[in-house]
Amino acid sequence: MESEYFLRVRNVSKTFPSVKALDNVSFSVKKGEVHALIGENGAGKSTLIKVLAGVYEPDPGAHIEIEGEVIGKLNPITSVRHGISIIFQDFSLFANLTVAENIAMSSSLQQGSTLVDWKDMRQVARKAIDYLGVDIPLDSRLGNLSIAKQQLVAIARSLASSAKLIIMDEPTSALSKGEVDLLFKIIRNLQADGIAVVFVSHKLEELFEVCETFTVLRDGKFIGDYPAKDMDNNKLIALMVGRSVSYDRLEAKAIGDTILEVQSLTKAGNFKDISFQLHRGEILGITGLVGSGRTEMVHALFGLNKPDSGTILLNGSPVDFSTPSDAVAAGIAFVPENRALEGLVLRQNMRDNITLAVLNQLTNSLKLIDQKRLQAEASKWISEINVRPAVPDMLAGQFSGGNAQRIVIGKWLATHPKILIIDEPTNGIDVGAKAEIHRLMRQLADDGMAVIMISSELPEVLAISDRVLVMRRGRINGEFTGSQINSEAIMNKAFLADNKVG
Amino acid sequence: MNQSPKIPLYKSIRDNSKEATLIVVFIVITLLLTLLTKGKFLSSANLVSMAFQLPEFGFIALGMMVVVLTGGINLSVINTAAMSSIFGALIISKVFNQGAGNATVALIGGLIGITVVALLGGALNGLAVAHFGVAPMLVTISTMMIFEGVGLLITKGGAISGFPSNYMWIGAGKILGIPFPMILYILAVIAFVILLEHTVWGRQVYMVGCNPTATYFSGVNNRSVLMRVYLLSAACGIFAAVLISSRYNSAKVDYGSSYLMKSIVATVLGGTDINGGYGKVIGTVTAVLIIQAISSGLNLLNVNRFLTDVIMGGLLLVVLAINFISMVISARRNKQQAAAKAV
Amino acid sequence: MKEWMKTKEFMILMIVSVVFLIISIGNPTAFLNTGNIFDIVKSNLVLAIAAMGMLPIILTGGIDVSVGALMGVASVMSAYFMIHVSDNIALGFLAGALTGVVLGAINGAFIAFMKMPPIVATLGTLSIYQGLMNFITNGNWITNIPAGFVEFGKQYLFDLVPIQFIFLIVMVTLTWWLLKYTYWGRGVFAIGGNIISAERIGFNVKKLQFMLYMFIGFVSGIAGVVRTSIFGQVDPKVFTGFELKVIGAVVVGGASTSGGYGSVLGTLLGVVLMGLLENGMILLKIPTFWQKIFIGSVILFAVTADILRARRAEAKRVKVDVA
Repeated sequence: MESEYFLRVRNVSKTFPSVKALDNVSFSVKKGEVHALIGENGAGKSTLIKVLAGVYEPDPGAHIEIEGEVIGKLNPITSVRHGISIIFQDFSLFANLTVAENIAMSSSLQQGSTLVDWKDMRQVARKAIDYLGVDIPLDSRLGNLSIAKQQLVAIARSLASSAKLIIMDEPTSALSKGEVDLLFKIIRNLQADGIAVVFVSHKLEELFEVCETFTVLRDGKFIGDYPAKDMDNNKLIALMVGRSVSYDRLEAKAIGDTILEVQSLTKAGNFKDISFQLHRGEILGITGLVGSGRTEMVHALFGLNKPDSGTILLNGSPVDFSTPSDAVAAGIAFVPENRALEGLVLRQNMRDNITLAVLNQLTNSLKLIDQKRLQAEASKWISEINVRPAVPDMLAGQFSGGNAQRIVIGKWLATHPKILIIDEPTNGIDVGAKAEIHRLMRQLADDGMAVIMISSELPEVLAISDRVLVMRRGRINGEFTGSQINSEAIMNKAFLADNKVG
Repeated sequence: MNQSPKIPLYKSIRDNSKEATLIVVFIVITLLLTLLTKGKFLSSANLVSMAFQLPEFGFIALGMMVVVLTGGINLSVINTAAMSSIFGALIISKVFNQGAGNATVALIGGLIGITVVALLGGALNGLAVAHFGVAPMLVTISTMMIFEGVGLLITKGGAISGFPSNYMWIGAGKILGIPFPMILYILAVIAFVILLEHTVWGRQVYMVGCNPTATYFSGVNNRSVLMRVYLLSAACGIFAAVLISSRYNSAKVDYGSSYLMKSIVATVLGGTDINGGYGKVIGTVTAVLIIQAISSGLNLLNVNRFLTDVIMGGLLLVVLAINFISMVISARRNKQQAAAKAV
Repeated sequence: MKEWMKTKEFMILMIVSVVFLIISIGNPTAFLNTGNIFDIVKSNLVLAIAAMGMLPIILTGGIDVSVGALMGVASVMSAYFMIHVSDNIALGFLAGALTGVVLGAINGAFIAFMKMPPIVATLGTLSIYQGLMNFITNGNWITNIPAGFVEFGKQYLFDLVPIQFIFLIVMVTLTWWLLKYTYWGRGVFAIGGNIISAERIGFNVKKLQFMLYMFIGFVSGIAGVVRTSIFGQVDPKVFTGFELKVIGAVVVGGASTSGGYGSVLGTLLGVVLMGLLENGMILLKIPTFWQKIFIGSVILFAVTADILRARRAEAKRVKVDVA
């Protein structure tokens, strides 16, 4: 009896050193089905598709069945051979090679010969392009094509590898309405030929146009499969958001006057018309989906991403930061999202990391580093941030997520900042340590600092934000204060354009 | 929890085990060479000769090390020295020989000339690397050619000679029995240790070498740090230029060309990580001693000068290979430890 | 504007044409005669052949500075072979080529398998190869090359074209063919474009890189022997610093040093440009000592322009799908 399912997986878990990204997830896709995979940031969607692509190996006990056959291990090449093709957001194509090569190279390589049969490659590529019904010259260099066309090439590549399941990660994020329509037409054609498509996306309106089934993930767990006809935006959002974990609500002690004002900040391809105010003593939460421009916008406040137009007023006076050192001198601190690459120098010890931003203040009369003062300063902040183990000589890379984050915070506290911007404060930190970081942030704000927190974790945003800005596609789509702050409202603003509520 | 600033001696040695090993290697090689040369190696003639020769090489090695610390490489360091020495020689010969001028004035003029030209060369490197962000290897491969060309332009391939005796004294004189070049070198080493290990800039150099992004994000001015690195590297070239031209009593484009390879070997052998972020001055200095000893020893043993080149190149590859193998071993051990922990 | 007019190769062709014009105006009688033109060809043949070997290396984002020394050793070994073993011309070339392959394989082993940074590994082997060569020859020229070989090298086709030109054609064709028609060649471009994706779609990156250095060894070996055939003798020191010219020609010919972009045509144009500049400087009575300054500046300019272009592209890149 031939199964109607192309793919069935069960018991898929994936544990990383500090977090369990997938917890006993099941996922099934019928042949020729158009299936949506949705969830908040960090719900596990990206991890799941990487497991299916053979990029990640799932924890032992995972059951993977493709066309009724149980599969042992997957790697990128065998996954493709079994008919699974993944188109990641960056397409993983070669900008310097031609369209034909990008389409046919992988499948040609598998044939094992030394010589390239260009005629064959072109035929394969031609077939794929014709199937899609689009007009893309085979000999163009990929890098010269528009994003939309590059994506079509990526799809063509999947077809050339005889894919029976194509998984697309955020496919429409860079497409215009017309290009999206074309994409959907192609997907319907694929469906008619029995090729299944899985869409990982945040754009609920679009998903309803093509998808028959929605799979919802939340916190790494499988919540359920839901036929599209039974669903609407609100129901989906509620499923993505509803949770049992929550943090204690920490209220502000007192909110002071305006310290920072941003007016119509705009940068092409990054953010548009950003305006808001920031007050002393408050924690301003900025949330939204990945790709909504939060980090890009906040980089502009730190001298990392110069805006095209708009004003930044610090204590009422306009400022213009060209480099981070300008921003630091003005009293702004930034704890970045990517700790390992941007936050810490892993191969150096904690003492040197924690004093990195204030070295100039630790010199003696000869302009040499005063070792005693350095050690004292380091010790002061090490104990202030309560990092464990409190060994200054230990390399930054040897600390656990939560403690490493403390070191970064400690580094900035040493500069006595007036504004602290923190991007994903509890990323890669286990649950117990998260609450402690929240308490730390609340305390800093209560002591008079103004805190901007970017977070994709709704519970966190709910727990400590005094105000919330929701960004969507580079703009501020919603602002909430006090009692207005609730999950559904925020998620609505994150997912949907203003006129699409309900 | 406060760490006491006084660190026990044994811990200090353990933390510096790489460098301690090098000192042992140096001692071993010295003994070996003494044996092989039947004692000639430790003769006062040889020791004095080494003491005069080592510093110019030592300066080049320091100039290379500081750039490697930031994850780069400075292939133009020799030609910077040669070019500046040629300018210096030009000034001296114009003032002293042709102008019938004062020897002191000529000396000062020459030294100023060398300094200015070297720093200009360093600034060119720094501009391309620090401001434009071009890969150091590519920048210095081009400036290496440019500086050689400038030198050729002035000397037309020949040598400029005729220095006053005060200039020649720099490379040949002694103070209290110690060769003057060695005194300069020791002072320079002390200065380097202070600069790299006790100044803000020094600390920033190591941080930039390990992770320029995180350092930049922490408010450090990477551009300024890197520019100063290349200026310091050029400054080392100043001293090398003076010492070499003084010893040879002339300035020529290809003086010191064998030092380029040797300085890279010294840097790597001395424990500096070729990718940047780690390296101690004492390590480089010991490596310089080792390489000088090997050079002099091979010379005493009448080993063909060309084979010395082979040995130097081979030494570099062997050191890198050893680094690679030890990296593989420690990575394997980390994996085993992590697996054991997970159980 | 047609697509081919936008290419780097076209731009270099324009620059070459401009230089050509300048020299023609400056010294038309000496420059614009076939004898001079073919002199330029002859003196840059070796550079062009060597550049063919260097191109794939730069395409993958690597570098090889031992090329000069390698050519020296290959030419010496080939000469000794012909003098002491067999004066067969073909075997003489083969000896040079094999020497190159072996030395190249050593480089490849260090770089591909031991992950040594190419610049440092090839600096090390540079010293070794150069030292060995100097030791064997003691710095002396080898002048007793068998007469048959020397005569061979003096041949001209149609009284105009030096016979070594055949080698150039063969090497250029071979390189072009390998890059275009083998998976090794396409792999070179793939690695230069996106090394992670290349591995993911099944290229054996290590093996490819190893073969890469063997290839440049082979080509450089042939180039070395070709030089011997042009001059009828071996000067071990003549190749010192040659690698800089080779790298320069490839970079000026439009190859991006971060890898992935470059072509045989572009490299040839780069060689032509270098050759014209050199010849031009002689004919326009600009002292030869300016050459190094010129070439160094050109390379510096080319790599800086390359970086600035990449930076500008990154800044313009759309990061957010702004509503």
